[in-house]
Amino acid sequence: MTRNRRQAITSSKWFLPLFSIGIGVVILLTSWLGGQLAVGLIALAVLTGFGLFVLLAGRSETIRGLRGDGRDERFAQIDLTATAVTGLVLIVALVVAWLVQIAQGHSGSPYGWLMAVGGLAYLLAVAFLRWRG
Amino acid sequence: MKNHVRRLRAERGLAQAQLADAMRVSRQTINSIENDRYTPSLPLALALARYFGVTVEEMFDDQES
Repeated sequence: MTRNRRQAITSSKWFLPLFSIGIGVVILLTSWLGGQLAVGLIALAVLTGFGLFVLLAGRSETIRGLRGDGRDERFAQIDLTATAVTGLVLIVALVVAWLVQIAQGHSGSPYGWLMAVGGLAYLLAVAFLRWRG
Repeated sequence: MKNHVRRLRAERGLAQAQLADAMRVSRQTINSIENDRYTPSLPLALALARYFGVTVEEMFDDQES
């Protein structure tokens, strides 16, 4: 898929709402497979509600930026920084959870391998982006 | 980075929204540039300079405090 095509899809105001509902359907199916249909239905309802809210909300820059149809280079930078902050918060949470598990005499799973995945993804991303120039 | 976008826009009697539409960015982005809260990318800086018929150096000033 070309970059322009990808950009056209993600900058549509329908992308995030449909993506939210899609994730909700996936959670519903996996919950159903795991015998927890109620959990899946709640997740689908919450994600559908979020999708509808984003779709029908006003024309604020934040909503339009999140939705994709109001995204410009400044919002892309905001998005990148917000993603980095989110990653940092997740890393800190994982490290703390892993340390608590270790201190309680547990193996540290699944936090240990999640940290490993995160570290590996970071290293691969740095290597790839450096190679790409 | 200091810039003269607000002055150039005002001289031409343009609203922020009109300039934003011409540059295909949000009005808030133009506002952030004018208030020195956001430094535009090189493509946007070039587009702004072309739009106003000035050089990038005439529009942006990295020396001014």
